[in-house]
This record gives sequence, C-alpha cells and structure tokens, in this order.
Amino acid sequence: MSIFGKSIVELIRLVQEKEISRKELFDYFKRRITKYNPNLNAFLTLAEYQEDTNHGELLGIPLAIKDNFCTKGIRTTASSKVLDNFIPPYESTVTQKLLNQGASILGKTNMDAWAHGNSTETSDYGPTKNPWNTDRSPGGSSGGSAAAISAYLSPAAIGSETAGSIRQPASWCGTVGIKPTYGRVSRYGVIAMGSSLDSPGPLTLTVEDAAFLLKVLAGNDPYDATSSDIPVQDYPSIMTQKKKFTIGFSDEYFDGVNEEIKAKIMEALDVFRRLGHKTKKIKLIPPKYAISVYTILQRAEVSSNLARYDGIRFGNDRRSFGEEAKRRLMFGAYTLSYGYYDAYYKKAQKVRTLIVEDFKRVFSEVDVIVAPTCPITALKLGEFKKYPFFGEIMDVLNEPGAVAGLPAINIPVGLDSVNLPIGLQIMGNYFDEGSILNLAHQFEKETEFFGIIKKGLEKYKDE
Amino acid sequence: MKRTLPKEEIKHLGNLSGISLTDEETKTYQKQLSETLDYMENINELPTANTPPTSNVSNLENVFFHDGGENKRGLTQNEALSNTKQKKDGKFLVKRIL
Repeated sequence: MSIFGKSIVELIRLVQEKEISRKELFDYFKRRITKYNPNLNAFLTLAEYQEDTNHGELLGIPLAIKDNFCTKGIRTTASSKVLDNFIPPYESTVTQKLLNQGASILGKTNMDAWAHGNSTETSDYGPTKNPWNTDRSPGGSSGGSAAAISAYLSPAAIGSETAGSIRQPASWCGTVGIKPTYGRVSRYGVIAMGSSLDSPGPLTLTVEDAAFLLKVLAGNDPYDATSSDIPVQDYPSIMTQKKKFTIGFSDEYFDGVNEEIKAKIMEALDVFRRLGHKTKKIKLIPPKYAISVYTILQRAEVSSNLARYDGIRFGNDRRSFGEEAKRRLMFGAYTLSYGYYDAYYKKAQKVRTLIVEDFKRVFSEVDVIVAPTCPITALKLGEFKKYPFFGEIMDVLNEPGAVAGLPAINIPVGLDSVNLPIGLQIMGNYFDEGSILNLAHQFEKETEFFGIIKKGLEKYKDE
Repeated sequence: MKRTLPKEEIKHLGNLSGISLTDEETKTYQKQLSETLDYMENINELPTANTPPTSNVSNLENVFFHDGGENKRGLTQNEALSNTKQKKDGKFLVKRIL
C-alpha cells in the first residue's frame, strides 16, 4: 500500500483501519529522511521511535518540529551553536499537546538561527535547500519544516512565525501554512524571539490537515499569560460549511510585487468570484511602514530575550552568537536606549496602534483580505545578501498582519516561468481562523491547487 | 536624515549586548545599523500625537496564575542542572565576583 503523498487525515484512517502500524509509518519517514536529508538539510536532529500508549486523535502520526520548540530529552538548538548541546528538561505546550494526541516526533527541523531571517541561511548548521530547486532557498525561518513536507520527509510539520516565518517558506516551497492569531496557540517552551509577535502554527499538504492540527494546538495555556481564553472554533467542521465571503484586496499590497505573481493572484481572485464570493478594493496603510514598526519592536524584544543566554545554566556563552543575532541584539539595544526610546521604540508602538486600527476598520467592511504572500518567488541561496535588511523586504507583505496579530494562511496558487511556487495569503479577523481555512478549503476543492503540491512531490517519489 | 553612528557607539552597543566585536565587525555593523536607522525614519511620516502605544495586541490585563492551579513547570534540582557545564555540590558554579 502506498503511503507516499498522503495527508495526515488519510494516514490516520490507515492506522485506524490497521492497514499500517504506527511503527511502520515512523520507519517509512525515517527511511525517506535518511535518503533525502543529506542533500536537503531539512532536519538537524532525528528522534527515536517511542512506543506510546496515548492513542488520541493523532494515532502515532509522525511530525517534524521546528528546532525552536523545547522537546524533553531531544536536542533543541534553535539552529544556533549557543544551544549546540542543549537537551530541554521540559516539553513545550505545543509538542505536549501533539504528544497527548499520540503524535510521534520524527525530528527537529532546521531554521534561521533564533528564527532571525527568512532563508535558513543564518542557521549555524548550514542552509536548508528548497526541494523544488536545490540551488534555491526554502525561505524561512521555518524553512526546514516547509522543505520537509514539500519533499514528503514528513506528512506535516510545526513551525512558528514572528512575521512571515510560516507563510513565506510555505509560499516558496508550495505548501499550506497557517499563522494563527497571536495568543491562539501557546508560546510556552518556544525559544522566544519577539514575544509580542511569536505565533506557532502548522505547515501541511492540505487545508484539512491545517484545520485538524490547529484544533489540536489552539487554546488557553496557564503557562502562557498572553494565550487567549476565547473558545477554540471547530476548524475542521467550519472549514466545510457553505460560506460566502466579502474578500478585500488592496493596491498597496501589489506595489513592487513581481508581475507573474500579480497575475496569479488576480486569477485566484477570479476563482473566488466564480465561487460566488464578492471582492472589494480596500485601502490599507502601505506595508513599508510595518517593516519599520516590526524591525524596531522585534529587535528590541530580541535584545531582551537573548539576554538570558549566559552559558552558565545551559548552552555555550555569548561568543557563539552569529552575525545576524549580534546585529539584532545591538539594534535592539540602541532603540531601547535612553534618548532614543521615544523616537524609535515608543513611536513604533504608536504606529503599531495605527496599523491595528486600520485593519479593524477594514474588517468592518470585508470578511477576509487576500494578498500575495511574497513579492518574489524563491531566491537562490546566497542572494539574500543583496537585499537591504537581509530579507526583511521579503516579508513586507506579512509584517502588517503580524504586527497587528492577525491570522493568515498561505496557499499555493501557481508556478512562475522557472517552475517555482507562488503563494497567496488570506488574512482574517482576530480569532477567525475558521473563515480563512474555509475560504482556503473552497479554493483547494475547486482547483486542487492546480496540481502544484503533487508536482512538488514528484521528484521525491518512492522507487 | 543620513547619519553614521560613531564607532564608540557601536562598541557601546556591543557592551550593552554582552558581545565583543572585532574592529572589522565594528565597521560592518556601523554601516549596517546606520542604514537600518535611516530606513526606520519613515515612521515619522505618520502622525501619532494622539495615538496611544500598543505593547501587546491581545488586550489582556492582569493575567495571574490561579491559586491552587496545578503547576507542573517546576524542575527538580537535577533537571535544572542537567545542561550546565560546571556544577558543584548540586549548584551552578560561576566565577568569583567578589
């Protein structure tokens, strides 16, 4: 029986019907990792199979976990040599919830060191390669997670996003990826980057899998005081309801976007109209301001969060910080310093309010907002150096929503002329992950993502 | 407004961040941090005189851990020490500070 390319919902059925055992499933993906990972470098650490009596909803489904989630007894580095030998003595809430449902952890995936970047090139363990074209970057920071599923080294993966780190690699690797509302999924045990922004979420091959996993992950956590106690929606059932939406799109989100990408997004809007949804032009604050707000606030939070790494209690000392972490630490220290605090940090917090209010106004007119996920398709490895802020521009379209804390999903909507995936994002209102999953699912049912996910898997077929 | 941060300031930021910088690194960061600051100036194009700051979008206030709530976060002494390179008598060993 063929396992290749099956979604986790399909795999669960196979385990339920005893077509395959949990151990066989684990070994299948382990074999694939052994074969393909030396080239792709998606995984940094492989886990051992654990016989588990938890049967839960996930029934032993193997998952790839980004290496910034603390996993008890499994090395967790955040791709930084500072944590080269760190074995967490506790479990993050996200991985605990997955384990409670009977998931198996396959291993830990490569990322930009400390999640600083969007190419995985700042990893101290070498970059991950894009399975679509191994000269290209998979995006980042959850690049290892995105590459792992697009080459089917894992049927689904967990990533985290501060601004773009789920959506952008999902877009460049041609997969689904959802960044939930800030506070929807607990940050407890996630190696902190920007604490007012960090949002864990799944990357998957289908929208149904994203809905399924998000339901497992979401919810209030007493160990994360910023997690919300708003009841979790039943995403898998909301996803299949017949709904019609008013979809907003804004010219500001097409500025500087590659023409081929623009065209595919416009075609996708036609698909939405054909499905009976209304589209409406809206006006939003230009995303370039969100870059500044995000850069100032995130660096400030980084300079505080990375202060704890002293090499005394765990890990190596501060000499092991790489170039990007140092740059961010110093920039954060600058904007928080006496004399600059008001001009930068406080000003950025105020503009953040403007961005939040801007989205709130727009969400009184429309149900969801559609935009490109990224202004270009996957860059070649090494090309990032040419861009200012080392890639911050790549996340220009993700940063406004991230700064506001809104949920958003990436779905594949086409290939460009050199056969690289193009992603579209659907942003939703606070805690309305249900609507964006519903619309993404309608698009998937209508188009099957134009066969993009299947095409991506082709090169990595079993013999 | 184009500006270049003075070298001393870069060295100071390195000190604040607990990292030591080579001369070459100081030069590189001097250029890069100055460029980044220049870009950041665009936020001044948006008026915020009457706008309050947002530090957290969840709008939650005074979140406490419930009295009597089950707290499994605590680590045993051995667990807490499990990742340190230097320990003595069940404690972290650090350099003398006095």
